Amino acid sequence: MNSLFTEISQEIVSGIALGSIYALIALGFILIYKATEVVNFAQGELMMVGAYVNFFLIQSFTSSMGAPTFLTFILGLLGSIIFAVLFGWFLDLIINRPMKDEPVFSIIMATISIGIVLRAIVGLIAGPMSLVPKSPFGGAHIQLSGIIISILDLFIIGAAIALVAVFYYFFNKTRWGLAMQATSEDPIAAELMGVPVNKVYSLVWIFAAIVAAVSGVLLAPRAAILDTNMGFLGLKAFPAAVLGGFGSIPGAIVGGVILGIIETVSMGTLSFHFQWVKEINDIIVWIVLIAVLMIRPTGILGTEEIKKV
Amino acid sequence: MKHMIKSMIAILCVTMIGCGSGAKSPGVTDAEVVIGTTSDLSGPAKELGALITGGEQMYINHINSQGGVHGRKIKLLVEDAQYNPQKTVVAVKKLIEKEQVFSLFAILGTSPTEAIRSLLVENEIPLIAPESQSGTMSDLSRPGSKYIFSTEVGYNRQGEIMVNWIMNQNPDATIGVIYQDDDYGENALEGLKNAEEKHGISIQKESFQRGTTDFTGQVGNVMKGGCDYVLIAAIVKEPIIIMKTAAAMGYKPQFMGFGPTMDHRVGLAAGKAGEGFISANGAYMWNSDHPSAVEYRELCNQYEVPEKMRGMYHFYGVTAAKVLVEGLTRAGENLSRTGLIKGMESIKDWDETNLPPITWGPNDRQGSDQAMLIQIKNGKQIPIAGWMK
Repeated sequence: MNSLFTEISQEIVSGIALGSIYALIALGFILIYKATEVVNFAQGELMMVGAYVNFFLIQSFTSSMGAPTFLTFILGLLGSIIFAVLFGWFLDLIINRPMKDEPVFSIIMATISIGIVLRAIVGLIAGPMSLVPKSPFGGAHIQLSGIIISILDLFIIGAAIALVAVFYYFFNKTRWGLAMQATSEDPIAAELMGVPVNKVYSLVWIFAAIVAAVSGVLLAPRAAILDTNMGFLGLKAFPAAVLGGFGSIPGAIVGGVILGIIETVSMGTLSFHFQWVKEINDIIVWIVLIAVLMIRPTGILGTEEIKKV
Repeated sequence: MKHMIKSMIAILCVTMIGCGSGAKSPGVTDAEVVIGTTSDLSGPAKELGALITGGEQMYINHINSQGGVHGRKIKLLVEDAQYNPQKTVVAVKKLIEKEQVFSLFAILGTSPTEAIRSLLVENEIPLIAPESQSGTMSDLSRPGSKYIFSTEVGYNRQGEIMVNWIMNQNPDATIGVIYQDDDYGENALEGLKNAEEKHGISIQKESFQRGTTDFTGQVGNVMKGGCDYVLIAAIVKEPIIIMKTAAAMGYKPQFMGFGPTMDHRVGLAAGKAGEGFISANGAYMWNSDHPSAVEYRELCNQYEVPEKMRGMYHFYGVTAAKVLVEGLTRAGENLSRTGLIKGMESIKDWDETNLPPITWGPNDRQGSDQAMLIQIKNGKQIPIAGWMK
């Protein structure tokens, strides 16, 4: 019994770490959606760009400073975040601004195209061979009563919690956060009330790019190989955002972690003891999603929005 | 207007007569033979696509510079089908109908090749050296297989060979497999099923979907099952993560992988966790002393191939092109599709590529059915067992 408990706990811990990655990507979806009602389908590609920028930064640091250390990792992370700020601002300038008055649907289509373009551009710059990113923590891990947790996973979980907390506070407690909520509710009224709507839009794209860069930096060593298809993970994080409640920031982590745990436990212990679970592994996430949406159509933490027409 | 219709009908008649008479096969002139291939230059397998196609092109240029085959230069048309079965069907249709290629060649990927079987049958067009190691290619009970000339040993055979080797080392071994849930994995399992029957054992099977990045569950399961040998039917990322996960859990079985896991990045990225990893391999390595490898390196120098392109995949491309050239040579001066098939079938114990001797025949579409084993020792890939059937 004890060993079964350890096995499942091990899978749950890995599921939480995997789910934290989903949560970070979902957070990017939610941030942009909350302020602009646009679903940014290039979120996964933003993450991929962040991971590549980080890889090349660390490569140039190590060529000038010697073997990779924790310091180069932090410098690489900071560099990627600075790049993300510029990149988010640039994306807002080229997609969101010119299309501000277009239907939301058109902007969503534009984000899909941006995703494809980014994959192509990164592929051209980085060359056809995929890269091997190094984990700043090597294979270091700690052991808690038989359960193994890698330091990288701890870092990922910590980053997800920290970023969700920061943005939750930001949206609900600061003037800028409230301005963003107002903009999402009614951009024209917000503008009339003195909210600098354009700045709000830039800011939210910058935030999404930062979150994406952090998730990219942390996911790359966990995924072992860095290639331009990394962005497709965004499609797995999307149901996480829906499950948690699209528009709810804490919902990102709730949805992400639930999906992460379902994935690892169903592939692990459940498949081991019940043969039929193996057959439905790839659809189990969707079954849970549909079941939750039938009971709570707005997701677990989502609130129903009532708009006057 | 009437005039135009008349002339159009006339043109149509002439072309139809041209086709019907069979005087010339499509894609063949006295100076040229047009060959069509699909590769992946911008999709999920683009890194190997670009290298394989690069190798093919290099060898074809080499042959053309020596005057071609029977005085005909080979013109290779490459379509980018992104490793996607639907796109491959469209691309192959274009190659056959619009570009009028003489033969198909080195279609990249198992699922893409599976998708064009009906086109092969409809057009009675051969496919030389598909870039797939699936044993289904040469399975003559499947439609279109008689047009396909598969080169390298199939995944099914690789599985059997690995299990035979394990049972030879340790008759009491408990074996598990973690496999990709697609055409590739299915073919690998087919071989393992034969091996189970042959040795009277049962192999624990754990699957995963492409794109999976966490293998805690699967690794935990083979550990629970007490497997001391774990086979991995996956590409490059998965064996790295699987071995690292196992190392963190303190679980140390002998990991073994099917052909695609032989990529040198597996050892590079897995580091210590990947030490001792064994992979099945159907070809001599590009940096070995085998005459084909020596010749390959000379060709690379002669054509100034950049250092980072040289290697296993680029070498595969050269091998595929060599097979094509041999087939065209044996097909004779009056080139026809049936002639090419006859020419390919006449290849027996042909030992000029990096593959073990290749044999095809009227009822044999599998060129080589041997594999050897390569192990990572001190970060280097070392052959540990010679060719096995």
